[in-house]
Amino acid sequence: MVELRSTIHELLEKAAESYGTQDAFRYKVKVADESGKKETKIESKTYSQLKEDSDHFKAAIEELGEQGKHIAIIGATSYSWVVAYYGIVNGGSVAVPLDANLPAEDLCELLDRADVTTLVYDELKADVAVMAAEKCPKLKHIVAMEAESKVANAEYMWKLIEKSAPAGGYVPVPEDLATIMFTSGTTGKSKGVMLTHRNLAENATALDMGYEPGMVVMSVLPVHHAYCLSMDILKGASIGAIVCINDSLLRVAKNIKLFEPNMILMVPLMVETLAKKLEEAALVPAPIIKAKVFGKQFHTICSGGAYLNPAYISMFKKYGITILQGYGMTENAPVISTNTNDAFKAGSIGKCMPNCEVKIVDEELWVKGSSVMQGYYKMPDETAETLEDGWLKTGDLGYIDEDGFLFLTGRKKNLIITPNGENVSPEEIENKLGENRLIQEVLVRDSEGVIEAEIFPDLEYVKKKKIKDVQAQLQDIIDEYNKTAPLYKRIFKLKVRDVEFEKNTTKKIKRF
Amino acid sequence: MYEKLVDIIVNYVEVKKENIKPESRFMEDLGFTSFDFMSMLGEIEEALDVEIDQEQAADIRTVQEAADYLSTLV
Repeated sequence: MVELRSTIHELLEKAAESYGTQDAFRYKVKVADESGKKETKIESKTYSQLKEDSDHFKAAIEELGEQGKHIAIIGATSYSWVVAYYGIVNGGSVAVPLDANLPAEDLCELLDRADVTTLVYDELKADVAVMAAEKCPKLKHIVAMEAESKVANAEYMWKLIEKSAPAGGYVPVPEDLATIMFTSGTTGKSKGVMLTHRNLAENATALDMGYEPGMVVMSVLPVHHAYCLSMDILKGASIGAIVCINDSLLRVAKNIKLFEPNMILMVPLMVETLAKKLEEAALVPAPIIKAKVFGKQFHTICSGGAYLNPAYISMFKKYGITILQGYGMTENAPVISTNTNDAFKAGSIGKCMPNCEVKIVDEELWVKGSSVMQGYYKMPDETAETLEDGWLKTGDLGYIDEDGFLFLTGRKKNLIITPNGENVSPEEIENKLGENRLIQEVLVRDSEGVIEAEIFPDLEYVKKKKIKDVQAQLQDIIDEYNKTAPLYKRIFKLKVRDVEFEKNTTKKIKRF
Repeated sequence: MYEKLVDIIVNYVEVKKENIKPESRFMEDLGFTSFDFMSMLGEIEEALDVEIDQEQAADIRTVQEAADYLSTLV
């Protein structure tokens, strides 16, 4: 039975009390043997250790004079990342998890906009730390998760933990701001979603999905996303799960064999690839294939972040794997609804979470409850557009059936949701491409799961510069843009128009 | 390396071997998703017992580029 927790502090405290000696995290480390050859080993940490380490980091933050400030974490999922996160929020400071895949300039802009004064970073993102030290005047401390740091003046996280003396310190209340998470906006500028302890802790603990302590979960999604943070890390702790950290998207298959998980949280893109693996040997009996790809112990995939074709649900069922499709958004910390083993309808996104209520306004889903965000950080206009009398306007169109199951039918806003659950603002890409003289008008949209740009070239410019192959020149512009864009924002299709786009009365291009 | 790679590619996308060219781009021309591509590299990593760098892998666009990169590892 899962009890409702209203702060992340309480959630971890209870996890350490109930599951103290049990493994909380398992992850791979490389150690050199006697001959110097590097070997991969699994290291583990218990819930007691996690609590102790994060309490020490909480104390270290206080000793730095940073209690209550905004502290960013940049890096892939790691035990250090999780310790840093709990240490920050459980001391009443605000964690700002950032996407390690963004270019360094973009990350510096976000650090500045979120008023971050301490940066905790993974050595792979040393370039960001170096640039931030120079360009972010508000930044006071840089903390490295690894001992060998390339950044001058960086303090080593585990040394800070070792020398700090935890002595109680501030205990957060449910209304304290815990996290600012950036999400793509429809205006092109990403928005910082403000989530309190109550928002996150209640979202993670409101629904009892019937899982037993000791269940093995493998975490494959990026931890800076609300879905992974809430469902893998926070919900994991509340039910006493053993969370195994997948070190690279390259090695999902290999790590499944190594960690033998029971459940994995995925985005539809991953479900699609794994479906191909299962069907590759369609003539071999289903239980044998399933054991080979996922292991006998595997039983559940939670899918969220983007639309999943229901055909995959029945296909995986053949192999004894349940896919539970859910729905959410960062603004609701994030889960709004999910299917469970007891309440399941294929094609639906499940029933609304117990701590939320949903209504339909002009076909759009509106959500109210204890997980709805406090607003967008320092963006009052965008906040006012999204929140109305405590209701969160999701921008998704849908309906509720007679049994209380939610169904989605489309999107109201222009946001592109890619199959890996990343949200991409078409305007952001359009603005960037539009800076080029050759491009007079451009529209960016989703086309069968990939991003497409449709361009009307500046014909005057073509004439003036005597450009012969416009298509090739436009492709060069796209290739150049793709070089610096993160994978999920890259353009894979180009369409060239010979007439202008149709406009509406306000001279805006008609999108649909 | 190139031939080995083509053998593996056809397990991930519905493209005939003869239609795969050195200059074919994984995502744009062959219809790979980003996760298909990552999974394929993971499979190759195991088969060849090499270690692929994810950051470097993200810059690979064409079949020839992938074959060249993999050749440097073995």
